[in-house]
Amino acid sequence: MRGLNYQLKSVLRDKFCLMTFLLPILAAVALDFMGSIDMSSLGELHFGVLEHDLSPQTITWLERYGPVSSYETPDRLTAAIKEPSTNVIGVEADGDSFKTSIAGDELEIFQQAAATLPVLYERREEAEQAKILMLKRPDILESMQGIFIPAVMIVAMFMGCTFNAMNIISEKEDGVAFVNEILPMTPGQYILQKVVVGFLFGSLSSIVTVCICFEMSWLVFAAMLALILLSSFVAALIGLFIGRFSEGLMIGVVYIKIVMLLFIAVPLVCALIGVSGPLAGICNIVPSQPAFDGIMALSAGDIKTAVKDIGILAVHGIAWSALYILIQGAPVKAHLHNL
Amino acid sequence: MRKSFLALFKKDCRMLASGKFFLMAIGFLALYTAYVNLGYIRFMQMPPYNVYLYDPAGTQTERSSLVQTVPSMKAMDTALLADANGVGLDASAGDVRVVIYTGAKHVDRHRTDYALSLLHPSDSRAPAVLGRNTPKQKARKEITCELLFFELAAVGFLGIAAVLFKEKGMGVIRVHAILPLQRNLFLLSKLAVFLLSDLIFAALLTLLNVGLEDGGAVLPAVLIQTAILSLMMALVGLLCALLLKDFRQFTLAYLIIAVFAATPVFLSANTSVKFDWIGYHPFYHVYMGLKNAYFETAISPIYYVGSTAAIAFLFLAVQFAFRREIGKEV
Repeated sequence: MRGLNYQLKSVLRDKFCLMTFLLPILAAVALDFMGSIDMSSLGELHFGVLEHDLSPQTITWLERYGPVSSYETPDRLTAAIKEPSTNVIGVEADGDSFKTSIAGDELEIFQQAAATLPVLYERREEAEQAKILMLKRPDILESMQGIFIPAVMIVAMFMGCTFNAMNIISEKEDGVAFVNEILPMTPGQYILQKVVVGFLFGSLSSIVTVCICFEMSWLVFAAMLALILLSSFVAALIGLFIGRFSEGLMIGVVYIKIVMLLFIAVPLVCALIGVSGPLAGICNIVPSQPAFDGIMALSAGDIKTAVKDIGILAVHGIAWSALYILIQGAPVKAHLHNL
Repeated sequence: MRKSFLALFKKDCRMLASGKFFLMAIGFLALYTAYVNLGYIRFMQMPPYNVYLYDPAGTQTERSSLVQTVPSMKAMDTALLADANGVGLDASAGDVRVVIYTGAKHVDRHRTDYALSLLHPSDSRAPAVLGRNTPKQKARKEITCELLFFELAAVGFLGIAAVLFKEKGMGVIRVHAILPLQRNLFLLSKLAVFLLSDLIFAALLTLLNVGLEDGGAVLPAVLIQTAILSLMMALVGLLCALLLKDFRQFTLAYLIIAVFAATPVFLSANTSVKFDWIGYHPFYHVYMGLKNAYFETAISPIYYVGSTAAIAFLFLAVQFAFRREIGKEV
């Protein structure tokens, strides 16, 4: 317990370290304020027209499918169509109907849409009479913002990992690590002391982030808390691994980057592409995947999936700490033999 | 002067090599190349919507070959569940009924109308093609540009800072105060090393991922933009190393750059999400400079004037901080 006190004391003195933990909270506040980012427009069609070219009826018809921007000169329209970050389809009047133009580098779906647009226009009356049965999607997010908040939370949980890794590496560089090896301390105690600091701050900052971003019932909150605690614990443990295997600051930084990339990329890619089947099971090897999945499930009110993810995280926690105790024990003995 | 510059340059190269800086760069180059060629190109495909028709009586005789028929309503349900962007057409009750999973409102309308139009196909008129890139070329250029920016602004930056903090920690910076060298040489040799390694990295990344022919065509423009970005990041890294106390403090500065600087820029520059205030974001212009170089779009001279001014300003700031740092020793 006394060792823990020392750890906490050294962290609290380091104001920059405290600010690191506040960062995700700041990001959450920013996200909350910027809630207006409209990501739903990503898959939409965008049309570019020339001013005073198409009839108002045609423009109203185009607006059924997506936003229409009008440009003053043909040059500007061409530039907008060619702009690689958007998928603007140019629409110009051509007799009764119109003709379309594209940059040619769009995804197939947009090229197809541009090719069939005049046909749809000719059939517009038929289409309005069709009967449509709308089904609710089982597992799709209302908006992309739902992905941002869990991503910020993953970063918040990750803070514990960065901190622990940095802490251990700097101990190594200062030579404290050698002192630690001959202290009368079991691997368990060592892990506890090191993990607790990163874990405490990581989970605290995630909890505050959650409180800012979500409004939820007590049951959901309890499940969320379990998710946060478990994943901060695993993140803090991974920080220990990084600290252990990196020889210097530089290598440590590379490891942290790679782990951070994996932590954020795997769940984001899974969520965006919708991975399923055995591949989704493999993705669970990255601990941020069940955490992310659980947060998404909870924000959709799906407790059952969240409980499954809590289970996976618990397995992660046990497996990583067992592994660490295992490798922690070995070198200490070797070192003592050398003495 | 030239001799001492070369000596410093050699020393910096050795330092980077021993810090595994080059090894890290080669590792990332391999990682990025593998990601682009094996992963990204495959992800970035979006075929047109699949249309599934259940038509037990065979009433829809004119339908296009793009429509897939299913034997039962149940088969259609499974097909739609697996492919939530698909559209189901149910012609079993006489009138055609459309079955879709709801998504964005505009997209739903388009999917529905598109699916219905396939039942009575007429010649679609090929749209006029204005650009020169194919979807594949665009995807390659876009991801290479993103990775290069990420590497220079985030990974490389961190590497620079790690090396400099090590030098600072060992007291090398202060040793320069008593060396009979021109003060600027220390900064210039650092900048030269990082610039050179970034340029080589950029050239290799571009040629490997955009392709020899396309990449070679845009390479000169890309290298100019790389030089601008690399000088800026190296100077900011130097400034951080000189001003901040230790590496841990630096990680905070780094996180701020990574989270707050990069995310809105990537969103605005690569998707149709556009922020009104993005014009005030300095990184946005640098990123767009790089992107314009890849897509062979004209870059305004104001940008070059602005970036040169920024580099000059940063250099003066670094010079000031450096003099202050060695001043502590004199």
